[in-house]
Amino acid sequence: MQVLTFLLKRFGWMIITVWIVFTISFFLMRQIPGGPLNGERVLSEAVRARLEARYNLDAPISEQYFSHLWNTVQLDFGPSFKLQDYTVNEVLAQGFPVSVALGILGMVFAITIGMTSGVISAVRRNSAYDYSFMLMATLGIAIPNFVLAAMLIVIFVFNLQMFPAAGWGDISQIILPAFCLGAPFAGYIARLTRTGMLEVLSNDYIRTAYAKGLSPRTVVLKHGLRGALLPVVSYLGPAIAGILTGSLVLERIFVIPGMGSHFIEAAIQRDYTLAMGALMTYTVLLFVMNTLVDLAYSIIDPRVKLE
Amino acid sequence: MVPVLRKYFPALLMLLAVISVVWAINLGTLPPADFVFNNGTEVKTIDPAKATGVPEGRVINALYEGLLRSVPDGEPDDLGRTPTKPKAVAMSDSYTVSEDGTVYNFHIRENATWTNGDPVTAEDFAWSWMRFLHPETASEYNYQLFYVKNAKKFALVELEEGDPVEVELKDRPVQGQIFPRGTIRRGQLLEVIQAVAEDDHSEVGGHGHGGSGGEGPAIYVVEFQSLDQQSEVHVYTTVDSDDDEIQSLVQSYQGETDLTKLQSVEHVLFDFDYVGIKALSTHQFEVSLNSPTPYFTELAAFYPLHPVHRGSLEKHGDREFTKPEFIVSNGPFVLRERRIRDRLRLVKNDQYWNADSVSLNSIDVLAIQSETTSLNMFLNGQLDWDTKPPNTLIPILKERDEWVSTTLLGVYFYRINTSKPPLDNPLVRQALNMAIDKKSIVDNIVKGGQVPARSLVPPGMNGHQSGYCGEYNPQEAQRLLTEAGFPNGKGLPTIEILYNTLDSHRDIAEVIQQDWKKNLGINVSLRNLEWGTYLDTLRIGDYMVSRSGWIGDYADPNTFLDMWVTDGPNNQTKWSNSFFDEGIEKAKYESDPTERMEIFRQIEQTLMDEQPIIPIYFYVSTNMVNTRIKGFTANLQDVHPLHLLSIEPEGSE
Repeated sequence: MQVLTFLLKRFGWMIITVWIVFTISFFLMRQIPGGPLNGERVLSEAVRARLEARYNLDAPISEQYFSHLWNTVQLDFGPSFKLQDYTVNEVLAQGFPVSVALGILGMVFAITIGMTSGVISAVRRNSAYDYSFMLMATLGIAIPNFVLAAMLIVIFVFNLQMFPAAGWGDISQIILPAFCLGAPFAGYIARLTRTGMLEVLSNDYIRTAYAKGLSPRTVVLKHGLRGALLPVVSYLGPAIAGILTGSLVLERIFVIPGMGSHFIEAAIQRDYTLAMGALMTYTVLLFVMNTLVDLAYSIIDPRVKLE
Repeated sequence: MVPVLRKYFPALLMLLAVISVVWAINLGTLPPADFVFNNGTEVKTIDPAKATGVPEGRVINALYEGLLRSVPDGEPDDLGRTPTKPKAVAMSDSYTVSEDGTVYNFHIRENATWTNGDPVTAEDFAWSWMRFLHPETASEYNYQLFYVKNAKKFALVELEEGDPVEVELKDRPVQGQIFPRGTIRRGQLLEVIQAVAEDDHSEVGGHGHGGSGGEGPAIYVVEFQSLDQQSEVHVYTTVDSDDDEIQSLVQSYQGETDLTKLQSVEHVLFDFDYVGIKALSTHQFEVSLNSPTPYFTELAAFYPLHPVHRGSLEKHGDREFTKPEFIVSNGPFVLRERRIRDRLRLVKNDQYWNADSVSLNSIDVLAIQSETTSLNMFLNGQLDWDTKPPNTLIPILKERDEWVSTTLLGVYFYRINTSKPPLDNPLVRQALNMAIDKKSIVDNIVKGGQVPARSLVPPGMNGHQSGYCGEYNPQEAQRLLTEAGFPNGKGLPTIEILYNTLDSHRDIAEVIQQDWKKNLGINVSLRNLEWGTYLDTLRIGDYMVSRSGWIGDYADPNTFLDMWVTDGPNNQTKWSNSFFDEGIEKAKYESDPTERMEIFRQIEQTLMDEQPIIPIYFYVSTNMVNTRIKGFTANLQDVHPLHLLSIEPEGSE
């Protein structure tokens, strides 16, 4: 019951947020100079007038706003201006799974690498492991992912010839971009895990566990890790947001046809409808992810109450 | 439940991750293609009538085929360029031209078929061209067919009283879809009732450059002849019949026609039966032109005029018919799969009339925006053809065997806004031109073998002799500036150069900034804008000097010159010259090729003397092509028909 009220409340907030984002971006987008019908070759007036009529661009701005809003409510984002063979819904349906796949893999990298090195650093505190892992974590956070991408391409594509330079379609093509995407988050997670672990390991119940004669492995993984997980889980919300928006540049470098590519191109080309569709999808996605993280938090930590 | 969840939460999370990774990996894996190239960007559409741009052209030329085809033909010239010619090696296997050069009769190949087995007929062309010109299709390239008799009247709805018209009633079988059209009634336009504009009431319809003609919606009075020689008269409007403006028009009408039965219809257009596009029989297609147009064969090979399959378009609609699952095409390749902003997978069309000579079985057309990534993939063997390597690396790439380059039909130039003093003075504009060291730009900045330009029309254009502007000459430039009343640049305001944000544009602008400062004493500021904003700024004329480029559509000077007519949409310099405008008109009707080229030379000279533009250099094509690919020729138009390429078998050296 408690969960249901929580979800309902969140849903209500989401609707309001989406509406505000829609309104602001709708008017902002039409404020900036340029428009979807501009190209290097200027259209003749007759053709421009016809195209404006086709896309309803000749209507008063308020009318455009309400008709677009009404269509959006019905989950119909309309035709794309610059990908004329597709509707925005079709573009998003193709791009979304690609970005999700990339994001998940990036996240898996971030969590596995981050947590492993974090735990080792905490257990072997002040050892060479600790210092080198933490140095790497700092580097991972500090280096922008496109710089990392360039370095990895030189090493793994041209020197070692282990991976293709770019593209999308098979497992070898997804590893490099997913790693670049996950790297900064792996860094954060490593530091969070280390801090959390150190705190937990100094607790009385850990000493009790050791006193019971449990092996260090069991103590660390079973009793320690569970407590150390909490700050990491609460970080997942912002991390997912970061992964989603962080893929914009990487998608370009590695030629990945995901949401980021569509969003950037739509903004540059003034593809109003597609930009709007992508923005709405991002908004909803972030909201849903944050809600899921909150739910997960309450599951792993009995002290947390949903409200 | 929650405690159970709590216990297995980490395991659950792991499982979720594993499942999603497996799912992610299984997303669309395609077997590798024979030939992979980077098209530079995602194509806007593969519908010929709506497409513009080089990337679109490459794909549409592979999927569809027009009357003729521009193919490399003949021996390379002294610059290593193979000429391209439109030839009847396409849907048409022969054609004739009438003696006065205005009527073309194309014979459609008997063995030409669509991918669904239907024969390709003259009707297909007539219908496709009708669709191409139809105002509601709003094809950006529709002016390319304005050389055809009455085509302009049809496309721009330029109706005069007495014209034959076709009225499309509001009964389209599929709502929201242009084709199939509603019932068409053909009659004669008796009268156009429209609110009279201030100065002119002879023209009608929403056409031209605005300003002239009647204002607002119109009422059309049309007479129909029925079989028994009875005539009936109907009144139509293309807006809602209860529209306010229409109602007030009806109220104020003083004439004798009865307007009470005003009917709202989709379109009142010039009757297409009277446009010079005719299917004489299944295989005879006739085109009548207003005037002999020497490059009409180039247009007949131009991709926007490729036919589309009427049946599938009418069934699936204007957008859906391009989808891989529905598309019916007639070219050497068919579309197998399309992933947005990733790739188009083309496979050989076994039903193509000349399928035996098509060597590639599958092609991947990639949409890679990043030049660096594209080059990486080429060097890594993932691409066979890179269409645009990064400028900065060209000096290195030029030395490699894969480099295929030649000058092409394109020019990099600066527009000058002639409405902004002191740039309204031709002497100042000439001085600006002569103060630019173009050779140094070509040698030190762009470095790809580009040629410094003294004319707008690139060399190599079917016997065109260019008109030239002044060469680099700082002393002469200073003299001109003094003559204009600005000795040593005194009294001149700061001149601003506008360009769209790109390193190479900035580098060139900086050189020009220094040249003008050093040679003329003019202060120059630079202003860069993001692409969309830049285009808008150019369009509204809010600039002084602006970087521009132009690629010709066909090998004729007209494609570079006709844009500079007064108020031409692509002029954008506010420059206007009546001698020039008349020359463009005169060239349209000149049937003697030598005379015609002389007209072009004269008006280009005018353009260069008046200097609303400063040509900087002529483009070169920059292709990196895997050496195992055969049939790739360097040519003036940078066209590389995919069906002519082949792969050399390994070890055949």
